[in-house]
Amino acid sequence: MIKSSETTTARLDRVFNPRSVAVIGDKQALGYMWLRSLSHFKGKVYSVQIDPNELPGIAELGVKNYPNLNDIPGPVDYVIAAVPRTAAPRIVKDCIQKKVGGVCFFTSGFAETNTEEGIRLQKTITELANEAGLLLIGPNCVGVYNPKIGLCHNPIQAYGEGGSVGFIAQSGTHATLFTMVGARHGIKFSKSVSYGNAAVLDSTDYLDYLKADDDTEIIGMYVEAVKDGRRFLRSLREVSTRKHVVIWRGGESEEGARATASHTGALAQSSTVWQALIRQCGAIKVENIDEMIDTVKGLLYIKPSRGNRVGLIAMSGGQSVIIADTFAKAGLKVPLLSQRSYERLAGFFDIIGGSYRNPFDISSSFLMSENALHNLSDMLDVMDKDPNIDNIVLELFTIVSPFSKNKDTPDPLLEIISEFRHNSTKPFMVIVTAAQNEKIALEIRDMLTEREIPSYPNFERGARTLKRLTDYYRLRAGQSLN
Amino acid sequence: MTSKIINNALKSGRTVLTEVESKQLVAEAGIPVIETKLAQTKAEAISMSKKMGFPVVLKIVSPDIIHKSDIGGVKLGLANAAQVGKAYTEIMAAAKKANKKAAIYGISVQKMARPGVEVIMGMSKDAQFGPVLMFGLGGVFVEVLKDVAFRIVPLVRRDASQMIREIKGYPVLEGYRGQEPANITALEDLLLKLSAFVDKTPQIKEMDLNPIFAYKDGAVAVDARVILESQA
Repeated sequence: MIKSSETTTARLDRVFNPRSVAVIGDKQALGYMWLRSLSHFKGKVYSVQIDPNELPGIAELGVKNYPNLNDIPGPVDYVIAAVPRTAAPRIVKDCIQKKVGGVCFFTSGFAETNTEEGIRLQKTITELANEAGLLLIGPNCVGVYNPKIGLCHNPIQAYGEGGSVGFIAQSGTHATLFTMVGARHGIKFSKSVSYGNAAVLDSTDYLDYLKADDDTEIIGMYVEAVKDGRRFLRSLREVSTRKHVVIWRGGESEEGARATASHTGALAQSSTVWQALIRQCGAIKVENIDEMIDTVKGLLYIKPSRGNRVGLIAMSGGQSVIIADTFAKAGLKVPLLSQRSYERLAGFFDIIGGSYRNPFDISSSFLMSENALHNLSDMLDVMDKDPNIDNIVLELFTIVSPFSKNKDTPDPLLEIISEFRHNSTKPFMVIVTAAQNEKIALEIRDMLTEREIPSYPNFERGARTLKRLTDYYRLRAGQSLN
Repeated sequence: MTSKIINNALKSGRTVLTEVESKQLVAEAGIPVIETKLAQTKAEAISMSKKMGFPVVLKIVSPDIIHKSDIGGVKLGLANAAQVGKAYTEIMAAAKKANKKAAIYGISVQKMARPGVEVIMGMSKDAQFGPVLMFGLGGVFVEVLKDVAFRIVPLVRRDASQMIREIKGYPVLEGYRGQEPANITALEDLLLKLSAFVDKTPQIKEMDLNPIFAYKDGAVAVDARVILESQA
């Protein structure tokens, strides 16, 4: 436990928003990864390194080096330690003496190795930190990311613009991957943190921090285990009433059967209990990084869904059959439209070879049709006004790019989709199926992302995301799913 | 909460409560349970049956016999005193044949419950989150299909309501093929009572109420099994 008169949450604010950062032990062998990650940091960056061989490389980066943390003039808010594990206790003592805001240990080789020395060293630094009330992140992690102030843990991480998504990850790789892959999907971050072995601070401390953080509206978590389950439960339950929380739990396959004497005990495996916990608290459970990205993107860019009925527009007969199958299999309904909608459609729908029950088939000749764009706009409007439809899904086909390559002139199709996405009252997503050309699909998705139009790479991911979000919003609104 | 039943069992070094003890404990939780008494002679069994009213069920009570039905330790639908007497003798003989060394506490006597939709409720403890409750349909649904839902204690009404509706077999509770529908509110009440009870009774390690018969006007626990934490 942290001993302090100030709450951990209040003290963590200095660590997440530092004005000065010191990196201890960055070196050539790491490609000076830490100092280079801080090249856009809007504050003071210091290096602490005693190896004379490393000093020229550090000087080349324009970073002032000191032989000891306590030689740095002025306060240090955040320390990143990439030192050999045996030096860790000494560095913790230096941090305590310097009264830093907090320290992240990138250093690994502690309890996670399950070796006697690793466990002993972790115990030592934990005790030292707890005794002094030092905020220690990790060890065995990459620590804090705050793009708005250029505090990165990877040299190619996005910086400059902040967003509303916070991410908490036990694993450093998942923090790095999600923040970097997420950026390509239009997910912008307020803060993220990876916390490794959770020797001092655990997931709940970070959850409490992001709960209080005004910049964070959506919280993603990658978690394997928590130290104090009851505390985590209370915190998650509270934060979920105010912010969206998406949880991806790892390590589910490692759970063996426990010795129990009741039916209940035999069935209450840890993965099952986690699922119950997440539901009970009103959070969203996902199974992998793709689902994490799809869900967070949906929370950001798809309007809250109020029902499970979907209107589908596909680009060929075959695709319209499959898109309907996929959404129905995911547990969504694909109903007929109202009579009034069909009367309207009969008045303008002139795509030869197309059809408009639900799903709509706008046929592969769509792109060549003169009235195509006007038709599409009207079709979307019909769905938007139809009382039988809660959500709208549009497929874009990529045998050829439907958008013009010329970026200087606005593409009319993109304009229509963009306008609809912003004016429609209903949840809306685009699915860009790859066909035989993943590269074109990616280009289209990037163009859509730029316009804040949520897109998904295949029917399955789109359908599962919509179902997950629909269930979530309905449960949140107090509806029962059965 | 300290219960006499729990204290007695722990004093005698037992962590597994008998059916009669388990049911008494469940009754203390405010959960309707089929009245069950322990008879130690044939005459007692007959007199208890008469007081409860026929038909009755007789079951062997022994900590050493887990699968009571398999060895002939359960007799259902006993309609009069003569049948009860005969069943008593047969069960005792079967138990001794199955396990000569079994400690036999007696034979439990209970009124045969009116059939309803079979459901199961239970509690076990998760290493990270503490007590969790389970709900499911009984019999094959729980044993083979594992169609169950969990929530972490303490539950609020919304949790109880959602976990009942979460199981795939939920339509069965709504009255399937002319069967009487179950009273969902009564089942929610039971879950909430169970939640409150285990929350204030940390000595319980695991429990099953299996089956519970659900009716359109309520629900009653027909069998119960309680396992206590072993004393440190």
